[in-house]
Amino acid sequence: MNERTLNIAHLYPDLLNLYADRGNIVTLVQRLRWRGIEATVHEVTHQDAPRLSAYDLVLLGGGSDREQEIVGEYLLKHKQEFKAAVDSGLPLLAICGGYQLLGAFYQLPNGQKIQGLDILDMYTSAGTGLPRLIGNVAIETEYGIVMGFENHGGRTVHQHRPLGKVLHGHGNDGESGYEGVHHMNIWGTYIHGPLLPKNPQFADAVLATALEYAGHSAVLDPLDDVVEESARRAFLARRMPDVTTSPDAATAQPK
Amino acid sequence: MLGIWIGKLVTWLLRMRGMDATSFPGKIALKFSPRLIAWFGRRIERVIVVTGTNGKTTTTSLLAAMMQHEEPVITNHKGANLLQGIATAFLQHASWTGKLSAKTAVLEVDEATFPLLADSLPIVVIAVTNVFRDQLDRYGELDVTVDKLFSAIRKTDACLVLNADDPICRNLGLRASRKTYYYGMSRDTARAALRRQMRDGQFCMNCGHELVYDAFWYGQLGLYRCPSCDFARPHPEFIGVYRGKTMALCEEQLPEVELKMPVQGLYNAYNVLAAASAARVIGLWAGPIHDGLADYNPPDGRMQSFDTKAPVTLNLIKNPTGCDSVVQAVVSEPGEKVVVIGINDLAADGRDVSWLWDADFELFAEDANVVSFIASGYRAEDMALRLKYAGIDSSRIRVESDMDAAMDSAIESARLQRVPVFALCTYTLLHKTVHTLTAKARDHERANAEYRASVS
Repeated sequence: MNERTLNIAHLYPDLLNLYADRGNIVTLVQRLRWRGIEATVHEVTHQDAPRLSAYDLVLLGGGSDREQEIVGEYLLKHKQEFKAAVDSGLPLLAICGGYQLLGAFYQLPNGQKIQGLDILDMYTSAGTGLPRLIGNVAIETEYGIVMGFENHGGRTVHQHRPLGKVLHGHGNDGESGYEGVHHMNIWGTYIHGPLLPKNPQFADAVLATALEYAGHSAVLDPLDDVVEESARRAFLARRMPDVTTSPDAATAQPK
Repeated sequence: MLGIWIGKLVTWLLRMRGMDATSFPGKIALKFSPRLIAWFGRRIERVIVVTGTNGKTTTTSLLAAMMQHEEPVITNHKGANLLQGIATAFLQHASWTGKLSAKTAVLEVDEATFPLLADSLPIVVIAVTNVFRDQLDRYGELDVTVDKLFSAIRKTDACLVLNADDPICRNLGLRASRKTYYYGMSRDTARAALRRQMRDGQFCMNCGHELVYDAFWYGQLGLYRCPSCDFARPHPEFIGVYRGKTMALCEEQLPEVELKMPVQGLYNAYNVLAAASAARVIGLWAGPIHDGLADYNPPDGRMQSFDTKAPVTLNLIKNPTGCDSVVQAVVSEPGEKVVVIGINDLAADGRDVSWLWDADFELFAEDANVVSFIASGYRAEDMALRLKYAGIDSSRIRVESDMDAAMDSAIESARLQRVPVFALCTYTLLHKTVHTLTAKARDHERANAEYRASVS
């Protein structure tokens, strides 16, 4: 009865899978499956060329500096394709290391620059002697409060719309008060932890965008998110009691 | 000498107050005598080091138990594997004048601590269990761990006892270029079916090509080879044939030795094999190896069983690979069962629990024998969420944040259904749970005894 199906590409899981990116894939696939929508996950390893035209949603995860450098080289070969694909609206979710690669460059503490895809007007530098930005994070977004864990040395600066306003934690550079990026159908963020399981509203927004891009109806049946909501509440209460739960609880109500 | 006196004094004071002294005396002693370990190093004849990611504590205890049948040994108990724990181990075997009561030490050493003491001790053998990804917030990256191990090995003249089935260990052996012995599981026990599992180091460290696996045991342990260069699993000098309750140790040209397994599970079979191989390299014959295994008491949380109203088996989980082997061990136990998983996020557990998403809890979803799950600990809700996305119906998952209450409830429902309980928990929940379960087992035994008495 449901003809909708989604092609999800997980780019370089062999190199960029430092912080439980698998949790994000599992969340997307399960939330589709529970609604009777089939999903195919294409694991694009460093040996394969990404076939961007075949995907409805692309995930780029996080890795260590060394692996990121390798991935940077692979990605650079497909820079023009990427530019064209995201210009045409390809949904792209990039986390941590993957997020940094969307900008012009990522400058390592030793001064070396890893070239990025240059899809966004953005750059990242690790600086010297700066502390890593580690800890629990909550941001206010159009999808309600998005929460998770951040652990990054790089400071990212851009002029696009941020993903959210920092309620707790460091965000893009620890100074601006903003976290992540949301430009066209591109989402970039330092929140892993992983990002999607505890942020089902955001996960659904990503899925709806991808379905629309694939030419399907973007309407998603509501799911029973009691377990998700209780994990969110417990996480805020235990780790970030300073973040008020009331607006979140309000936005979490099914419409 | 000041360090020794102070260390001994602290140990004595702690003991007077009935407290455990595995690290603290060494910590204080090192404050006064920073070169204390090197000082002891000049007074001991030989040191055997056990390092690696998973199984250090079990392997060290097994090896120490085997060697103790030949001579007294100094060893660090209960996983106190940082500098302070090692200093404490020496202090406990030193007189007030610093004379040591044993000539040999068997030490478990943390990978990051190893380079700090590698050149201060007369290390003759280094046994490496495996190199897996551990708590990322502690070490950063796998490469860093490998480099630390390598730099430590280079500071010694020791020979190596390495896990042939682990490509990262094999690489370490090739880079270290010295006398190296390998141990590994018998080829025909590897599983041909490839399960999608998280593997570390699946790239050839010689040429960068992706390694090919003909079969594997768990994690990255398997029959690997590089398709483009000559990097491959070496033929091990010591081969283990794991048969559940027993394991045969095979060496070329020697008769097979049948060893009784004091601890269950494939990952423990690797620990027994590592310890037995190191013991052979040191020169022990089969007798003490056999006897050492017989009088070994598993430490807390390693398939530790309790004779409560419904039997409970308790396991420590702390990183994805270790957790996978525990989940595999639980799933491979026949019959129905109740499963309790307690997750805390205190400093000793790691504040970030994202590793739960890398662990293969999907195995539980495939096991229809689990009648119910209870998620517990400070991060009970996160665990419940993980189980839900693993594909387990939410109606089979209950949240009970308090671990004691979770165990009570699990034992009660398991008793009614006449099934056992398997409990998994992170570090800061372990000792409390051991304590509670020990008390429950004692009550159960007493109740049974009284019951029998009244009948007779």
